[in-house]
Amino acid sequence: MASYEEHTLEFMKLALEQAKDALANLEVPVGCVIVEDGEVVASGRNRTNETSNATRHAEMEAIDFLVEQWQKNGLSPLEVSERFSKCILYVTCEPCIMCAAALSYLGIKEAYYGCANDKFGGCGSILSLHTSCSELPTSGFASSKKGFKCTAGIMASEAVYLLRSFYEQGNPNAPKPHRPIKQRV
Amino acid sequence: MNRATGGTARRMKNKDEDTVANTESVIIHIPEKPPFLPHLQPTVKVHAAVIEPKDANTLVRKLNQIAPLENLRHVKRVQKKCIDGGKLQLCLLLSMAVENDGEVDAMPYEILELVKSYQLSTFITKVCKYAATSKEEWDEQCKLWPTSYHPPTYNISGITGFTEEESQSVLSFMRHAIDLSTSCVGQVVNAAVIVDPSTKQVIASASDWVISSASPANKVSKEGSCSDYPENLNSSNLENQQTSLLDSSIGEFEHVICNVGCLHPWRWAVQSLSPSSGCWHPLRHAAIVAIEHSSARDRQLFPDYKLNGEDSIKEECTLSPSKRQKITDSDFQSNDHSSESVRPYLCTGCDIYLAWEPCAMCAMALVHQRVRRIFFSFPNSNAGALGSVHRLQGERSLNHHYAVFRVVLPEEVLRNKVVDAKTDGYG
Repeated sequence: MASYEEHTLEFMKLALEQAKDALANLEVPVGCVIVEDGEVVASGRNRTNETSNATRHAEMEAIDFLVEQWQKNGLSPLEVSERFSKCILYVTCEPCIMCAAALSYLGIKEAYYGCANDKFGGCGSILSLHTSCSELPTSGFASSKKGFKCTAGIMASEAVYLLRSFYEQGNPNAPKPHRPIKQRV
Repeated sequence: MNRATGGTARRMKNKDEDTVANTESVIIHIPEKPPFLPHLQPTVKVHAAVIEPKDANTLVRKLNQIAPLENLRHVKRVQKKCIDGGKLQLCLLLSMAVENDGEVDAMPYEILELVKSYQLSTFITKVCKYAATSKEEWDEQCKLWPTSYHPPTYNISGITGFTEEESQSVLSFMRHAIDLSTSCVGQVVNAAVIVDPSTKQVIASASDWVISSASPANKVSKEGSCSDYPENLNSSNLENQQTSLLDSSIGEFEHVICNVGCLHPWRWAVQSLSPSSGCWHPLRHAAIVAIEHSSARDRQLFPDYKLNGEDSIKEECTLSPSKRQKITDSDFQSNDHSSESVRPYLCTGCDIYLAWEPCAMCAMALVHQRVRRIFFSFPNSNAGALGSVHRLQGERSLNHHYAVFRVVLPEEVLRNKVVDAKTDGYG
């Protein structure tokens, strides 16, 4: 396996901390941090069970924090877009199709992820929304399709370990648990 | 401009995707994959090689590691053929053949290594691009190269047709969504209406919040207020918008719909407005906001809900919204307001009405939220993910699948044509 720069691993460790926090709160353990100019500007973890909103993935939590923050600071949409174009995402699991599309809409610079998401992955597993080319030619509209660089497999085994712990303990919120929920003592 | 037929005929027909009548409302099922005649299914080129049967297991295992068939999960790795004399010949699929300007690219390095060490002579052949959805298609596919076939295991109400009553209800909610999408003067945005079909109650509705100038018409329906069913929708607003839309030139029209979030999801940054106007968000497409409203409603109606699922949630339930969990067709008839009320699992059993075909973000959000059926009016050739650019309802790996319908309303036919002409221009 390729060796990554130390700070890449450091940021992924922070994302894993977020994922552990999710696990402790009975959420699907996926966490992320967003880094701008070498500094963590946002972090997030899954809150789908807490909110009864299955779209509250780690990436969405972090993105919403940034948009709100930057709006409070009076940034215009164009300025917000410029800030996102300097941002790097570190997330423990491959962004799903929804999040990958969102990251492309925002025009982030780059994403690093841990394990692949072979059911919903939008950065290579099911769709490849991070690549700017698509089957259709892009429109000539003012702001066109954006891709972002994507690197997989950063501390993937740690991410998988957390997910496995979650599914072994059983998702208490699933309608008909595929696996029995273990009684927590 | 023949608008005379608009607004008169209300008869509903369920038709195939390729036939759209101009004067009648039509609900068109949009299947998991583009409809093709069995013998005209699209194919892709692949690299393959004849192999020794004794090497088959090793080679398949190695290939699955270095070159998994990500977009061709339905295609089998090995083809068995009887050649003359009853001898069995095995062909192995190595990888997809990537084409550039009509030239087939070389295989990846790892596969070339494999080819070299086993001294395989490779050739290019074709396999079917999409998984078969019928026995007839599968039979045709296997003539090219063997594939696997899983017959559909679900039957979501509507795929096989709508009753007159269901059709009227679908039409009515779609009008509601289109009214919402045109409720801001001078521009059109996308709008979403989430409906519980068992009670015909609007659970939540929203329009895009992507740009700030669009005054959001958002609403969470209050518990018990079943009057939300838009029985007597006043369509004068729509008619007015329509007239102004149709009277404007194509250029102006383009300008009018350029704020539809799902149509131009990359465009949010170039909106021209003062930063102080507030209330904009690049990702707050109508469907996302509506989902948020519906989950807020659930949390409000079931405040005592515990994540552990063990605790009783009996009190506070006299309001008794309909039980939405695990709705089957037979449940629709027997939906008396039972005292046993549980927080619904996301939007299980619910339908959503959207003016425009949703983008990949919204379409996937609706997978996550377990929506049962999606109805939209206008296709989105720019970024649509339910048949136009992507087709999420056909991605078999997803853990939930909804049924997708396009609703064509008669008075929209003209505008529809303008929209098609406009978006096709980018295609």
